[in-house]
Amino acid sequence: MSLPIAVVGGGSFGQSLARASARVGQRVLLWSRRPRELPEESITCTTELRELADAELVLFAVPSPHVGEVADELGHHLDGSHLLVHVSRGLVGDELHTVSEVLAERTPCRRVGALAGPLVAKNLASDEPSGAIIGSQFPEVVEAVSEALGGPSLRVYSTPDLVGVELASALVGLVALSLGYAMQMGMGPGALAVLATRGLAEATRVGELRGGQPRTFAGLAGAGDLIAAVAGDGRPEIEFGRALAQGLSLAEAAERADAYIEGALLAGQVAAFAARARVEVPLSTGLARLMRGEISVAKLTEALMTRPATRE
Amino acid sequence: MKLFPTRPLRLPRLRTYVPRPEDPKIFWFNSERADIVDEVVRRIMERYDAEESVELALNDCAYHEIRRLEQIKSEGARRKLEYWRGILRRVGRMSAEGKHETLREIAADMSRDVAGNFDPRVYDFASRFVPGVLTAAMNPSGILKNLMNGGGRLDGLVTTEGPIDKIRQLSKRGTVVLVPTHSSNLDSIAIAWVLFREGLSPVVYGAGKNLFTNPIISFFMHNLGAYRVDRRIKAMLYKEILKAYSCVVLERGYHSLFFPGGTRSRSGAIEKHLKLGLAGTGVEAFARNRARGIDRPVYFVPATINYALVLEAETLIEDYLKEEGRARYIIEDDEFSRIERWISFFNKFRGLESVCVIRFGEPFDPFGNPVDERGDSLAPDGRVIDPGSYVSRRGTPSVDARRDAAYTRALGKVLAEAYQRETVVMPTQLVAHVIFRRLVRATPGLDLFARLRYRGSIAIPGDELRTELGETRDRLVALEAAGKVHVSNFVRRESPTTILDGVLETWAGYHATRPVARMQSGSLIAEDPNLLLFYQNRLRPFAPEIAGDNEADQIAAREIAGMEHRP
Repeated sequence: MSLPIAVVGGGSFGQSLARASARVGQRVLLWSRRPRELPEESITCTTELRELADAELVLFAVPSPHVGEVADELGHHLDGSHLLVHVSRGLVGDELHTVSEVLAERTPCRRVGALAGPLVAKNLASDEPSGAIIGSQFPEVVEAVSEALGGPSLRVYSTPDLVGVELASALVGLVALSLGYAMQMGMGPGALAVLATRGLAEATRVGELRGGQPRTFAGLAGAGDLIAAVAGDGRPEIEFGRALAQGLSLAEAAERADAYIEGALLAGQVAAFAARARVEVPLSTGLARLMRGEISVAKLTEALMTRPATRE
Repeated sequence: MKLFPTRPLRLPRLRTYVPRPEDPKIFWFNSERADIVDEVVRRIMERYDAEESVELALNDCAYHEIRRLEQIKSEGARRKLEYWRGILRRVGRMSAEGKHETLREIAADMSRDVAGNFDPRVYDFASRFVPGVLTAAMNPSGILKNLMNGGGRLDGLVTTEGPIDKIRQLSKRGTVVLVPTHSSNLDSIAIAWVLFREGLSPVVYGAGKNLFTNPIISFFMHNLGAYRVDRRIKAMLYKEILKAYSCVVLERGYHSLFFPGGTRSRSGAIEKHLKLGLAGTGVEAFARNRARGIDRPVYFVPATINYALVLEAETLIEDYLKEEGRARYIIEDDEFSRIERWISFFNKFRGLESVCVIRFGEPFDPFGNPVDERGDSLAPDGRVIDPGSYVSRRGTPSVDARRDAAYTRALGKVLAEAYQRETVVMPTQLVAHVIFRRLVRATPGLDLFARLRYRGSIAIPGDELRTELGETRDRLVALEAAGKVHVSNFVRRESPTTILDGVLETWAGYHATRPVARMQSGSLIAEDPNLLLFYQNRLRPFAPEIAGDNEADQIAAREIAGMEHRP
């Protein structure tokens, strides 16, 4: 009998991953802090992390603020044979450490990967056709994720550019947030297109500094993900941006969008990282200043629009 | 006809040396040498199983060898050139067996050329007399006394730090892969001497062909376990033979040494972007042994080699600063080949105690996990874990080149972090950094090359300099307490005045063409920004943390730290 797939995190994303995997015939062990029950027979819910040691592939669907703490606990039960793949969109600290770096540091697992692209909980749980990208340097991780999730309704592409996938996934969230903001402010399609493409160019510059490949940002993890967000896949970052534009505080906006404040605070991390590397990130720097109340939306828009237009 | 460079001199074998049980593994090397070469050839032929790939390998070899040999004007080169041109002409018409046989012959010839030698008589001689020769070079007036009893003086000049007992213990259980930083051709000699002195086994190591150009050094290198790495041979087959050779040697338990920096650090900085090509074979060797049911752990041991003076500093920094620096990958005419520079070099340390501090770091397994005193791999929570789990799927260990390449890349990061943490700051580096920071402060808005033209035009009042030296030293000591770096005893203990005087005296004698810096009317004049840059580069990653709180210092420090982003 094949080994079960483990899913860490009983939130909406974790549950959707478990369902998507069960749909393609896998046995799933779903860990969550609180006891849960799911109707699918092939999904076994547990509150004991040690039970996940039986699996080979462990899908890590924990919100970025809790990644370190859960990784520490999970690490007690895993070893070098486990394949650990996360779906987080976060980056850690001003050095922009990726979640896979945190996992490799705090657990014994080295065969790590990140699943990204236009993945949202609602679509993943339903049978709606979609796609995803698995970033990992380990061929067995790519193979295991494709087997665990790939099927008629989910095309799973792969790339060895793990850091590129993680950076693209996180930074697209920031671009989506600013697009939500701009939409709420009533900006037209032309302005949104400029914001989206310049945002992606900025994300690519930052990603390259961290060792990512530019083409990853043009693929499913970057441009693909952003198109899905703008097309209305119910991405919390868009709603977060809209709520902020309505004058809500960070905490209130996050609550309304069912998002984490950290998603918005990423702008400050990116700005600090880029300043050290002496790379221009006008969008992230502007957003960070906006969040800190140092600049108004009107001033930010003016500052961005009056920058000299250079070669693309 | 030998297709590859001729072998260096060996001593005649009058009677076979039979190793004693307590001898290190490397004493058995010569008895296994032919087996090792055969195994390398077997693996290469296994890899080039398909006829198309054999033809591709032959074409690639011929193409690169012809390009290389066309540059050499000698009778030997002309004959070899004819051979390779013949291959190129005939390969299309050869039968499958003919191609295989030709490749086998070339692979065997290359492998024999690469393979090292270990002569216990040479080892015995070298360990008795080399310290004396080196020490004599440091103090020519006591030459006879030094030749007979050189170790004592050398002991004081080359100091060792780190978990030596643990490394000694691990070398009994598994294979040690020593991976030091690389800043001078003296590194191999200094490491070899320290291994002997600390009772650690001699190691097998790949030495660049340029080290074999001096017949005396070549003799010692070749007979003490070095295998030849000729960077001029660009054929794909040659690189695979080097890797296969290294892997077979590691699998058989020979402790090995690699310089993952690939070449001497041109900038003087601690290496950050590492080439683990050959060292990476440690991962493959571990996996291959596990797949065959052999439990022989592999331990990577990082080490930093920290010199107060770098013998080849002037050539290295000049090369770094040249735009076309990369083209001069193999330098054959530097200070290393000039004996008067050696003598001058060793004579300049009277004021600074140690010539060189070799600091060994904590060993780790091929997957970056720390290991305990017994050699067991430890998870982040301190649990003992089986390193075999990393090369297994569903309980079965296997060899997988792509997987092992990914492990090797991850290992490069672990190693780069270890290098930074295990760096020992030497007095020359501290003084150079403080002066260079002042130079950056005094030249706002300029780029590096414009700054380097400020020769002899920056003066720093002596009192200010000593105060800054003391403050910077104190911040370094605080970083040391936080586990981020180490400082040499001299830096930690002495007053800023003693440090400055000792460093200026040391520089004054060795870098004599143009002084690095000199005192004039109570002020220090920065004379050679290139060498200041070279010595201070070692402190580049720490610059913001050891700068003063004032804004000018902080801006200068950030600029210095950011210099690594420039070519």
